[in-house]
Amino acid sequence: MANIIANLNKAFDSRIRLGIMSILSVNESADFSTIKDLLELTDGNLASHIKALEGLDYIQCTKQFIGRKPNTKYTITESGRKSFQEHLDALESLIR
Amino acid sequence: MCINFAAQSTFNIVVKMEKQIEDLKAIREMMEKSSKFISLSGLSGVMAGITAIAGAAFAYLFLLRDPSSTDFSRFHEIMILLGDALVVLLISIGFGIYFSWKKARKSNQKLFNKITMRTLYNLSIPLITGGLLSLIFLYRGEEEIVAAITLIFYGLALVNASKFTFEEIHYLGITEIVLGLAAAVFLNNGIIFWTIGFGLCHIVYGLILYKKYDLKK
Repeated sequence: MANIIANLNKAFDSRIRLGIMSILSVNESADFSTIKDLLELTDGNLASHIKALEGLDYIQCTKQFIGRKPNTKYTITESGRKSFQEHLDALESLIR
Repeated sequence: MCINFAAQSTFNIVVKMEKQIEDLKAIREMMEKSSKFISLSGLSGVMAGITAIAGAAFAYLFLLRDPSSTDFSRFHEIMILLGDALVVLLISIGFGIYFSWKKARKSNQKLFNKITMRTLYNLSIPLITGGLLSLIFLYRGEEEIVAAITLIFYGLALVNASKFTFEEIHYLGITEIVLGLAAAVFLNNGIIFWTIGFGLCHIVYGLILYKKYDLKK
């Protein structure tokens, strides 16, 4: 039991981070405002969680301009996908 | 003491497990919400079906039952049928937008987001192709085939768009394609297949969607 719990990733303890990873794992990319709307969050709240996931190298951002408007797009990284999958597997084996 | 400890730790595990289950639910919900158009309401299907049946009944009673009862020219007849179909289409789209808008508002979502656009784009390619092809055949005076074409291309449009919405839409699409092919075989009974496909099937699938996705909340 303890061994299985050890597989749960502490970085994904928060529901918000789980949400961000879920969105990015099924979409090629998502921009800041899309994620914000989906998770019903404020700018600041989302930004801090995104920063944390970026710091862990689980997601990466690309900044670009659409016309004159700046647009920040996020994608999941390889290691992010792997860690998220491991976390999902751990969750599933726990409730089995 | 020992039993108490065991009960306590079982309790802890149960509480933990509840959090994991909730986590998994949240993950699944977010994956769906972010990649699928889930504001589609079953009620739009039901209303579209009723509208289609009314439109078909109008065409049948007014024109097709006894063509000799009216003295419209052939061109005139086709224009009336086309107008009838257009009214049905516009009313159905109107109900579709209205019920989806209501459902989106209920779950605090925007109706027109990227996923909605992607779904509509994938729906519109076969749909517009089929519409134009129908007009071409009408122009060539081969109106018998139009029921089959509209059914087949509508079915293809649904199958194409179903990747971005509920899986039932996929099977509705297949049903429409089969009915369309049947309508092409039994050319003179086009209106029957058209009424089943656009009327009855919409009502049946609309009720299934409504029961499965709208009622549970």
